[in-house]
Amino acid sequence: MKNITRRSFIKTGATAVAGTIAASSFLPKGWYAFAREDASGYFEQEFGISDELCRKVLSEALSKGGDFADLFFEHTISNFLILEDGKVNRAACEVALGVGIRTVKGDQVGYGFTQDLSEKAMLAAASTAATIASASGKKPASKFVPPKTKNYYPVKTLLSSVPLETKLPLVQSVNEKCFSLSPLVRKVTVVFHDQQKRIMVVTSDGVKGEDLQPRSYLSSSVVAEKDGRWERSGWNYGGRRDFSYYTPALVQELAQKAVDRTLVLFEAIQPPAGEMPVVLGPGVTGVLLHEAIGHGMEADFNRKKISTYCTMLGKKVAEPFVTIIDDGTVPYLSGSINFDDEGTPAQKTILVDKGILSSYLHDRISARSYGVKSTGSGRRQSYQHYPIPRMRNTYMLAGEASPEEVIKAAGKGIYVQDVANGQVKIGEGDFAFYVSQGRLIENGKLGAPIKDVNIMGNGPKMLTDIIMVAKDFEFAQGGGGSCGKGGQAVPVGFGQPTCLVKSLTVGGVRG
Amino acid sequence: MKKELYDLAERAIKIAKAAGADDCRVSINGDRFVEISYRERRPEGIKEATSRGLQVEIFVNKRYSVQTTSDLRPEALKTFIEKAVASTRLLEEDPLRTLPDPKYYQGRKTLDLKQYDPDYKKLTPESRHNFVRAIEESCLAKGGDKVISVSASGYDSYSEQVLMASNGFDGYVEYTAFYGAAQMTAKDEGDRRPADYNVAIAMIRKDLPRPEEIGAEAASRTLSLLGAKKIKTEKLPIIIENRVVGQVAIGLLQAMFGRSIQQKQSFLADKKGQKVGSEQLTLIDDPLIPGGLGSRTFDDQGIAAKKMVMIETGVLREFYVDWYYGRKLGWEPTTGSPSNLVIPTGKRSIKEIMKDLGRGIFVTGFIGGNSNSTTGDFSIGIIGQLFEKGEIVHPVSEMNIADNHLKFWPRLVEAANDPYPYSQMRFPSLVFSDVVVSGI
Repeated sequence: MKNITRRSFIKTGATAVAGTIAASSFLPKGWYAFAREDASGYFEQEFGISDELCRKVLSEALSKGGDFADLFFEHTISNFLILEDGKVNRAACEVALGVGIRTVKGDQVGYGFTQDLSEKAMLAAASTAATIASASGKKPASKFVPPKTKNYYPVKTLLSSVPLETKLPLVQSVNEKCFSLSPLVRKVTVVFHDQQKRIMVVTSDGVKGEDLQPRSYLSSSVVAEKDGRWERSGWNYGGRRDFSYYTPALVQELAQKAVDRTLVLFEAIQPPAGEMPVVLGPGVTGVLLHEAIGHGMEADFNRKKISTYCTMLGKKVAEPFVTIIDDGTVPYLSGSINFDDEGTPAQKTILVDKGILSSYLHDRISARSYGVKSTGSGRRQSYQHYPIPRMRNTYMLAGEASPEEVIKAAGKGIYVQDVANGQVKIGEGDFAFYVSQGRLIENGKLGAPIKDVNIMGNGPKMLTDIIMVAKDFEFAQGGGGSCGKGGQAVPVGFGQPTCLVKSLTVGGVRG
Repeated sequence: MKKELYDLAERAIKIAKAAGADDCRVSINGDRFVEISYRERRPEGIKEATSRGLQVEIFVNKRYSVQTTSDLRPEALKTFIEKAVASTRLLEEDPLRTLPDPKYYQGRKTLDLKQYDPDYKKLTPESRHNFVRAIEESCLAKGGDKVISVSASGYDSYSEQVLMASNGFDGYVEYTAFYGAAQMTAKDEGDRRPADYNVAIAMIRKDLPRPEEIGAEAASRTLSLLGAKKIKTEKLPIIIENRVVGQVAIGLLQAMFGRSIQQKQSFLADKKGQKVGSEQLTLIDDPLIPGGLGSRTFDDQGIAAKKMVMIETGVLREFYVDWYYGRKLGWEPTTGSPSNLVIPTGKRSIKEIMKDLGRGIFVTGFIGGNSNSTTGDFSIGIIGQLFEKGEIVHPVSEMNIADNHLKFWPRLVEAANDPYPYSQMRFPSLVFSDVVVSGI
């Protein structure tokens, strides 16, 4: 019920540590039959979903007219292994199986879903969706063809084929490493999450896409004590990765980062309050782009004229050295998709091209309304939701400067290393992002560590205030990044080179 | 349906026991919902579905896992639970993971919590559409020529839930839920398009405001944001509006859970019996409010619900301790999660309070932000109105407050007389003194 506000927020980092796994679904034949690595033919073989049956259900969805209809089949297995107080003593498994049926008439959507993949249940859901239209029926395409795309996340071994006995030592090794790194460490929580999502999109205009989307992360949360003070931080690695990604070297790096990031907080202060220059470090600080511009470029908001960017297409919004991209094709990143949840092939979309606002992020409905092609941005959380324009991996291209030059140019301000979450009001363009790790900048050099500070700004103003970009571009390699919009969470990724924003409002404590 | 759910729960427990589980707890839910949204005086989206799910928590050989499924056909369910029991055996031992001592199931109240609306069955497609149309119309009317876009929506659902544990607990809940909502975006200076929304949620439909009020309120809220400015960083009194004050209170609650305390992630861990807020801060967890969005007679572990004073005139009295973390801490369990939260209301209206305060900010929304449960530090963006001499001067944007909960709540100086009924957090607007509001 939280989806009434269209304000969007994102959270990065590990989730579900508390193990609050929502009840979900799991249908015929069961997940033990789930050991195939290729995506094609899965729903037909496992659940008897033939092309003929799809046509029948699509015909029902179009029985009252409607411009098009689609079916979204999903079978997802999510596993969590949780280590607390030295033991992997909790596991959770959630299986989702169902189909969502959508009928679209102009910009109007009728939607029904069912967890029962029988013909009868699917026809009933289709008939619900059909009610959005009120004309004479239409026929779906007579033949379905797959979308033309590549595989941006090939899987060597299915995560569900990795036995628990193999996963347990991985989780334990993170715990041991963290404790071995510092005597100040008091508590460690480790979560290994793996998910494989099988989807099949069948559209009334003849697309049938089948995909296997893996997703996993390994996270470590560390609590340390020093002189009676307690601090907590952590780190995670992941993405659309299979088990081979989690090497001993990665475990070492994860533990080191989690512990270092916790211990540095004992030295951290809260920064002053007010407007000042802000330098974004490389990687996860791309959250700022996600909030400051990404959401505002989602075409549904622009079509309805409720985004601050809705009149800026083709206009100069930033300096010529600023190029911002939203991209579904970056190998193994959390936000990558071979095709979107409407069957449109994966793409790379340039939002800001050398300072000029160049494209919104479209799904089929908005693309039609603008008379352009979909950018492959129609995404949904699950079969229980209909697709809307969403980001994938959002990043800024590298510039020319060295990171040191950028910090020097800031003079006095804040250096942001890590961002926990953010939010934007797309109409005003006002955004916030929460800095969990950073440094003061004094006399053009990095100073004391800072933490727990919210930074505010305005999207269009922030873009024009980007005055320097460094060459040290990085993609964030965290696996837990997820974006919420309209009550739907989808995995997203970020990338960022070091860059200087002339002025943002830092929500510190000292006036 | 009730008997069907009970039979299913009993069968699930039987299968788990036969597969070797020492104990198990099963939760089954069935839901039906309809959601309709309107824009430009026609349906924008219509969504409806029926769904169900089964969650089984397995305790075997001192090991624990939780699994969910919606395949409730006898054979599929049997295979699912048997496999779940087998995989749980592979985890590491944790002798503290057990079902609660059945004595905590005792004392469950039998009162009617008024969570099921018999009029739910009378809803028709037409009445649903009319409700949403009325919300949209009133928002459009109130918004007038400032309107860029209005969206209105209505939702209703019917749910049933059974909770059953193999050591002698069973409970059944049947409830309905309704909401009406509107969001408006307005024309402002330059490229600014302020938006705000209004939503009312209730378990009994007649507890909702009239649709005309829901829509008009969304428009008023949006119009009040026109012409927002950032002011200089300044120390000011602030009033946080009833409907959003929970977003700050959550930072306190996070530190009150057994897990936070046991995992050393709570700045309140050693504060029981001590002052954590001003005399004005009393926080009550009351699960037995008729029609309350968080009302219940038992929690998700089956522990009988009772009213608890969590914080009493500033003194921390209780924590949310579930059975497992209670055993880890060696503490008595209370309950694992909040139900309805109440802060007693004061005597004066916001208007009267503003007059007394002179200059300050009336916070009507938050943006971004977070709270650190280990240290109590928080920082959050605010949206609201600057007031002087009791009168609103202009809205503010791009501003922020940052503080520490242990320093912030002692500066709670007054609660207004306006408890908010459409939330589990039935809080009045709260007034805090000397808050650094950062801006220019």
